Amino acid sequence: MIWQFDLLILALGVLCALASISLKDLLSAAIVFGAYSFLMCLLWTEMGAVDVAFTEAAVGAGVSTVFFLAAVYHTNRAVKPRRRGRLLHKLVGLVTAACIGLLLLSATADFPTWADPNSPASVYLSPFYITETIPQTAVPNIVTAVLADFRGFDTMFETSVIFVAGLAVLAILGSYGRRQRDYEPSPTGQDAAHQSSIVQTACRVFVPFMQLFALYVVAHGHHSPGGGFQGGVILGASFILVAISYDLRVMQRRLRERLAMLFAGLGVLIYAGIGALCLVLGANFLDYSILHTILPATSPIMARSHGMLGVEIGVAFTVMAIMVIIYVNVASHGKSDRGL
Amino acid sequence: MEMLLAKYNYWIYVTLMMIGIYAMIAKCNLMKKIIGMSIFQTAIIVFYVSIGAKKGATIPIIAHGHGVAHEAVRVADYVNPLPHVLMLTAIVVGVGTLGVALAIAMSIHEKYGSLEEDEILERQE
Repeated sequence: MIWQFDLLILALGVLCALASISLKDLLSAAIVFGAYSFLMCLLWTEMGAVDVAFTEAAVGAGVSTVFFLAAVYHTNRAVKPRRRGRLLHKLVGLVTAACIGLLLLSATADFPTWADPNSPASVYLSPFYITETIPQTAVPNIVTAVLADFRGFDTMFETSVIFVAGLAVLAILGSYGRRQRDYEPSPTGQDAAHQSSIVQTACRVFVPFMQLFALYVVAHGHHSPGGGFQGGVILGASFILVAISYDLRVMQRRLRERLAMLFAGLGVLIYAGIGALCLVLGANFLDYSILHTILPATSPIMARSHGMLGVEIGVAFTVMAIMVIIYVNVASHGKSDRGL
Repeated sequence: MEMLLAKYNYWIYVTLMMIGIYAMIAKCNLMKKIIGMSIFQTAIIVFYVSIGAKKGATIPIIAHGHGVAHEAVRVADYVNPLPHVLMLTAIVVGVGTLGVALAIAMSIHEKYGSLEEDEILERQE
């Protein structure tokens, strides 16, 4: 932790945040917001939160910028210059922000100094995770172990929240099930004629490596930063890349919306299914150690490691499918016919 | 100056939070409000992640190798992993809610032909 470096990133971050809320062009605002996310990602790497930084790089800087661009494409790009009558709003906003800021700043007087190893957050509960992760689960990445095992119940419902978010986007924008979804497959190349062949060739080379990397991130999350959330987002991003550089239809020939929806449900089912399996075998819900009775040649400790891999795969399925579904619906305004 | 440097993480998170809340209240454009919401969210993540930091500690992945016996793990060597877990899922859930917010903004634009708060209010009457 080098405070000079931190302060530089933080100052740039504040500048980017101010720029993205004050720019009159929403497209530029979205791009600047992407830059802001990357700065935050750097900051978290620097604070030692590698898993958080990885997620932010994939989600905040990558996928959500694309979502913003897609939404701006279908609405107005320019922010209208304000006429009279906004002064009150600005005043209320400033006063509220100032009050909250002052309250929070006065509260910081009671907080421990930054990076104090003896701060309450670091002496209570978290030492248990740090010392017990290897003996109990044989997983070196503590974040993965806490995410998928010690606090697995939490993560299961967070996966469900993502699933529900996908359903909500479909319900608001989509025409899923309302009419025939079968598009007429047009001859290859005709759909995608509006895109440059350089972009398409680069994408064609790129996508297999992206997907392979995503699978590596999911499978290797026990030993390095990564896991189901990051891998799922990268996998979803590879489909989004195809949809951008070719056409939405080309992507949907690979992954139909129905199939994506099925994957999303399947992911949650895998997660909850592994939990229920533990229950059936006579242990608590999501207590993977009991799985050693059905997995060949595993000890209860390794069974917990394998159980984590199982739920991470479930998480990856759901996250991948929901990213694709949100992109398809936002980019095509729910019609899923053609993209940006 | 000493006091400022000792707690600069809190100062920055408060600043980002103020920017976010100002954008959510004062900006007229719905997209700007959504950007403000995302900034507010990252401010909270900055707060949590900085709580987990420890001086002289490394990333929360225990040093290991195949076939090597593990030494006893010293707590002070690794940053607090718990805030990381909470924030990791918060980011992914955040992109889900961002998708929902954008979908709602797009339906509003379809119905009222505008993303400006005051124009939507005018057209509602």
